[in-house]
Amino acid sequence: MTCADPIGFETLAAYWLGEVPEKREAMLEEHLFGCVYCTERLEGLAVLAAGVRAAVKDGKVNMVVSEPFVEAMKQAGLCLREYRLEPGGSVNCTIRADDDAVISRIRAPLAGVKRLDVVRMQGGGEPDVRLADVPFDAETGEVLMIPSAAWLKTMPAFTMRMRLIAVGEAGETQIGDYTFNHSPS
Amino acid sequence: MPQDSRLVALDDGALARRIAEAGAAPDSAAETELYRRLGPRVRLYGLRHLRDRQAAADLVQQVLLMTLERLRAGKLREPERVASFVLGTCRMTVLEMRRGTRRREALLETWGDAAEAFEAPEPLALHPDRLAGCLEALSERERSVVVLSFFADKQADEVGAELSISGGNVRVIRHRALARLRECMGAGEDER
Repeated sequence: MTCADPIGFETLAAYWLGEVPEKREAMLEEHLFGCVYCTERLEGLAVLAAGVRAAVKDGKVNMVVSEPFVEAMKQAGLCLREYRLEPGGSVNCTIRADDDAVISRIRAPLAGVKRLDVVRMQGGGEPDVRLADVPFDAETGEVLMIPSAAWLKTMPAFTMRMRLIAVGEAGETQIGDYTFNHSPS
Repeated sequence: MPQDSRLVALDDGALARRIAEAGAAPDSAAETELYRRLGPRVRLYGLRHLRDRQAAADLVQQVLLMTLERLRAGKLREPERVASFVLGTCRMTVLEMRRGTRRREALLETWGDAAEAFEAPEPLALHPDRLAGCLEALSERERSVVVLSFFADKQADEVGAELSISGGNVRVIRHRALARLRECMGAGEDER
């Protein structure tokens, strides 16, 4: 099954998310209703979108998110536990069976920062993990990190250290270290 | 019900004409095939415009039963253009659903038994652990863009505002991330 003029996947994504102007949208829908091939591609996108939603709800992914995203999680009825850390700070944290997600609000002076990396210092001989170019809110001075709840619920007590590093043309600047003392509930 | 290969070979218009020409004795095999074929298109339209699985399932039933009713009664002037008719009916019905018109009940009173005879195939679900692994393999920014876009169906400009980057940049990252996800899930051919 083929299509002589298939709709590109990015156009399908734009259509699915309501970004396409009305007139173009009407043309795309005329095409979709007459084309099994493009319908199947759109179906693939819809299934992927549903899978992403399910993965978030089931706590299967580590994410760096935005404040409106946290609000959307609350509106979706998810049960959230939040911790706030200042530079140099530490927190005793846990996750309960009925928690859907744990949000770490990592505070830092982020004004003027162009790129932010996060280094997870595993300890115990494990190599550090560097997350490059994570999203952050310079205005509020927060990085909102959500670890996989499914993973966290399987973990025994452990300590994880995290370091924020600003990356600029002049090099790297260490912004702050943070310590999470996790214990199972 | 097993698919009839002769019916499967017909295009939408020929199938619709066959239903229209059946007259008083409905061609149930052809009707089932048309329902199977158009159901996914209507469901996707419903999901896109109503953002609700149940509402989309209602739309499929309402629109396709109405289409079959018109075909059986010989009231669809150009059966060859059945796909356009279905799209037009989708648009009208979604407007009515948004206005809260309860036309579905009236249709189901007439077609209640028939509705149970038709089934549109359910979409396949992705393997959740495999998808989670593919999401983990994305860069932090790609993953953020994907989850922010699809968790609450947000447009690129909205996601950009939340991440302090431009909408155009979000579209570029989203395109790259979707291509990587599809490739990881084994569906990344003919990427455009």
